[in-house]
Amino acid sequence: MTIFLQTLPFLLDGLLTTLLVAGSVVLIAIVLGIPAGCALVFGPFWVKVPLRLYADFVRGVPILVLLYFVYYGLPAVQVNLSSMTAAVVALTAFKTAQIIEITRGAFQSIPTGQTDAAKSIGLGLMDRFVQVLAPQAVRRFLPPFINSLVDTVKGSSLVSLLGIVDLMLSLQQVIGRTHVALPLYLMGALMYFSINFPLSVLSRRLEKRFIY
Amino acid sequence: MSDIQSKPVISMAGVTKSFGLNQVLKGVSLDVAKGQVVAIIGPSGSGKTTLLRCINFLEEYDGGSIKIEGIEVGYKDAVGERRRRSDRDLAKLRGDAAMVFQQFNLFPHLTATQNVMLGLVKSRGKSKSEARQIAHRWLNRVGLSDKFDAMPSQLSGGQQQRVGIARAVAMEPKVLLLDEITSSLDPELVGEVLAVVKELAVEGRTMILVTHEMDFAKEVADRVVFTDQGHIMVDAPPATMFNEQPNDRLRAFLSRFGSFRH
Repeated sequence: MTIFLQTLPFLLDGLLTTLLVAGSVVLIAIVLGIPAGCALVFGPFWVKVPLRLYADFVRGVPILVLLYFVYYGLPAVQVNLSSMTAAVVALTAFKTAQIIEITRGAFQSIPTGQTDAAKSIGLGLMDRFVQVLAPQAVRRFLPPFINSLVDTVKGSSLVSLLGIVDLMLSLQQVIGRTHVALPLYLMGALMYFSINFPLSVLSRRLEKRFIY
Repeated sequence: MSDIQSKPVISMAGVTKSFGLNQVLKGVSLDVAKGQVVAIIGPSGSGKTTLLRCINFLEEYDGGSIKIEGIEVGYKDAVGERRRRSDRDLAKLRGDAAMVFQQFNLFPHLTATQNVMLGLVKSRGKSKSEARQIAHRWLNRVGLSDKFDAMPSQLSGGQQQRVGIARAVAMEPKVLLLDEITSSLDPELVGEVLAVVKELAVEGRTMILVTHEMDFAKEVADRVVFTDQGHIMVDAPPATMFNEQPNDRLRAFLSRFGSFRH
């Protein structure tokens, strides 16, 4: 019991770092990804092509490769980032690609009849987007988006490989010192779970709420 | 025929449309006078739905001309060469040719009333309270006075389609386009929808309807147009169309509908 109490502050520090990384990644990825996703659906050809390439390429590369590329690769072209910045940049690049894809899916899964109907009662492009498509897209966006939040929290454990003391690395450090592996890993797992479980519940609730 | 009647609301001349290599409309010409109800019949793939969708430019016709009260629908002439109208221009014109769809296409996130209000507020520039009044009046007319606040998912197919009709006709369009509006309804719900359409016809609204309901076409239409392979083959009053069947292909087509077999 004492070992939990002794290590808890250290682990909580790690948890805080994990949340900080995941939080900033998601925030930046939303700001970049949603407009880019809309551009992928509604934009002109010359905007769609690079976005399509970006989303496909980045999603097709392991996150770990992205991390190492940004942290160990970019210095070769005089881009030196701190481990924390590099971690956020790499994870954000991935998350943005994912959100572009989720946004695209949310809009493109709306039946074309909705646009036809909106056009036939005289709605212009802007009104069709704001009044008809966007409200329906939000409902289709939320469930996969929240699943992707869960992925971000879990996936952020990779940043420990750049020496960032997140929950994962703080666990390993504590275990390295105390040699008590099983209970501490269990505790770490529970801490990840305690973040992600409410998100999963929220996702299921939203799915139910938005059936119409 | 008076002067006003002789000026067509809809005037189509030599309309062509291709999807890739497949030419669906091969030069269709059709005038519809004010207050006329025109039923388009024909085998599937004959271009009837495409023709209807060209009238409000949901499909962009390639050649020829479609005019609503003298105004070219999708294009404007810019010194001899025609250009596609801007989205804003198109939006305005489309409200004059509101459409009712086979799949209803109600907005699922809006109530029945809001579905009808949307075009009135955003396209016709009405205030919300005025739009709500109009919406309620039309929902009353189509027999849905107890469903003002229902979501589309809470309505039967027939009820949804009646909201669809209210949404279109509330725009006071110059022509109402009905695209196989009973085709995805259960048989017992078809009657309630057709009753509404019949009332609108009696009222003197200009309508073009694509339909497989031959009895209904016979009863409600002033003219019946038979399309086949991208052409209008016969354009005649219902009596001539169904009784005399002045065309081989028409006869073959109608023979598939029991009641018109010779």
